[in-house]
Amino acid sequence: MLRRFLEFNFVLSAVLALPGLLVAQQPAPAKAQGAAPDLSGVWNRRNLPGARYGGYTFSAEEPSMTPWAQEKFKLTKPSFGPRSFKDSNDPVNPTTVNATGCFPPGVPRIYLHPFPMEIVQQPGRVLMIYEFNHFVRQIWTDGRQHNTDLGPTWMGDSIGHWEGDTLVVDTIGFNDKTWVDRAGHPHTEDMHVVERIRRADQKTLQIDVTIEDPKAYTKPWGGRLLYELRPDWNISEMICEDNVNFDQFIQNEEKTGK
Amino acid sequence: MKFKTTTLLAAAAGVVLFASSLLAHHGQANYNTKESVTVSGTVTDFQFVNPHSLVFLECKDDKGQAEKWQGELTSPNHLVRAGWKKNSLKPGDQVTMTGFRAMSGANSMWITKMSINGEEMKLGQGN
Repeated sequence: MLRRFLEFNFVLSAVLALPGLLVAQQPAPAKAQGAAPDLSGVWNRRNLPGARYGGYTFSAEEPSMTPWAQEKFKLTKPSFGPRSFKDSNDPVNPTTVNATGCFPPGVPRIYLHPFPMEIVQQPGRVLMIYEFNHFVRQIWTDGRQHNTDLGPTWMGDSIGHWEGDTLVVDTIGFNDKTWVDRAGHPHTEDMHVVERIRRADQKTLQIDVTIEDPKAYTKPWGGRLLYELRPDWNISEMICEDNVNFDQFIQNEEKTGK
Repeated sequence: MKFKTTTLLAAAAGVVLFASSLLAHHGQANYNTKESVTVSGTVTDFQFVNPHSLVFLECKDDKGQAEKWQGELTSPNHLVRAGWKKNSLKPGDQVTMTGFRAMSGANSMWITKMSINGEEMKLGQGN
C-alpha cells in the first residue's frame, strides 16, 4: 500500500513538474520590469591561452602612453612577468628589503591577482567580494551618482546600471598609488574605469574593462576577462600581510646559500 | 643518491654566489624559471600560511652530507581546492620536490612538482 502511495506520488509529482520542464526548454521569458540579470556566484578567472604576461595586464598590445606615463613606466619594477625585478617596487608584491607591502591593488588590477571573487546581488547594490585580501567593492545600482566628496581612494567609487543583460560599472575617485595592472602601467587620479559585466552563458562571466586616463594614455585601452562559475567553491581567507611568515624563509635563503 | 640536479647551474651550486641582500618573498625574479632542480628528503617543517605555503626539508648532498632545503608553494586556499589538507605534509614525511631554484643559488625553490611519500600532489593555481 505504501509502495503504491509512493508510486502515485511520484507520478503526480512528475505531472505537476511537467509544465515547469516545458517552460525550462523554452527561451528565457522576458524579465519582469526592473528585475536585474543574475550575476551572483563564485567566479574564478580563466587564463586565456597566449594572454600577455600570463594575465599580468589587460591587452595583448602595449597601451599608447603619454610621455608622462612612459617616464613613470620606466620607474616601475614589477615582481612578476617578463619585466620582473628582484628589487621590485610593486605596491602589492614588493620584493625589497623589509617591504611587506601589500597595499591594495585597486581597480582594475584586483582582477589580475589569481584568486576567485564572489558577486552578491541585492536590490540597489552589487557586492564584489575578492578573495585576494578580502577586498569588497560596493557597486551602487540604485541610481545615485558618484560620491565626489570623498578623497581619492584605493578602490575608487563605483556606480552601476543595467544595459540589457550587462551590468555597466563606472568607477572614478582613485588615488594614484596603484598600478593599472601587474605589469607596472601607471595612472593618475583622473583614471576612469568602465567594466561591462555579463553572463556569456550559465557558467561564464565576461568582463570587458576599459581604462581612460588622458594624462597617462593617448586613447582608452583595456581587454576582456573571462571567469568560470565555481558552484562548489567558497571565498576563503587570503591575507597578504601574512608575508611576515617569509622572514624565516628569507633568512634561510641566505644561510643555505653556498 | 638522494640529491640530483638537472641543471648545470645547480651542479655548480658549490661555487655560486648568493645575493648580498634579502630578496624577499614571492617575486618571480627571485627564481631562475628557465631551469629546474629536484631534491628528495625528509620534511622538518611545513607552514600552511598565506600568502604562500612553505616546506622545509633535510636532504643529503652528493657526498652524503646533510643539507637543508626549502620550497615555496601557492596559498593554502589554492592548495585546499587542489585536494590538500593542513596536515597533508608532516615532519618525517618523505618528499621529492622539483622547482625553480633561487637566483642566489641558495637551497630554496619555487616548487612546480611534488610527491609526498611517493604520492604525486596537485599544486593548485596562483602566485
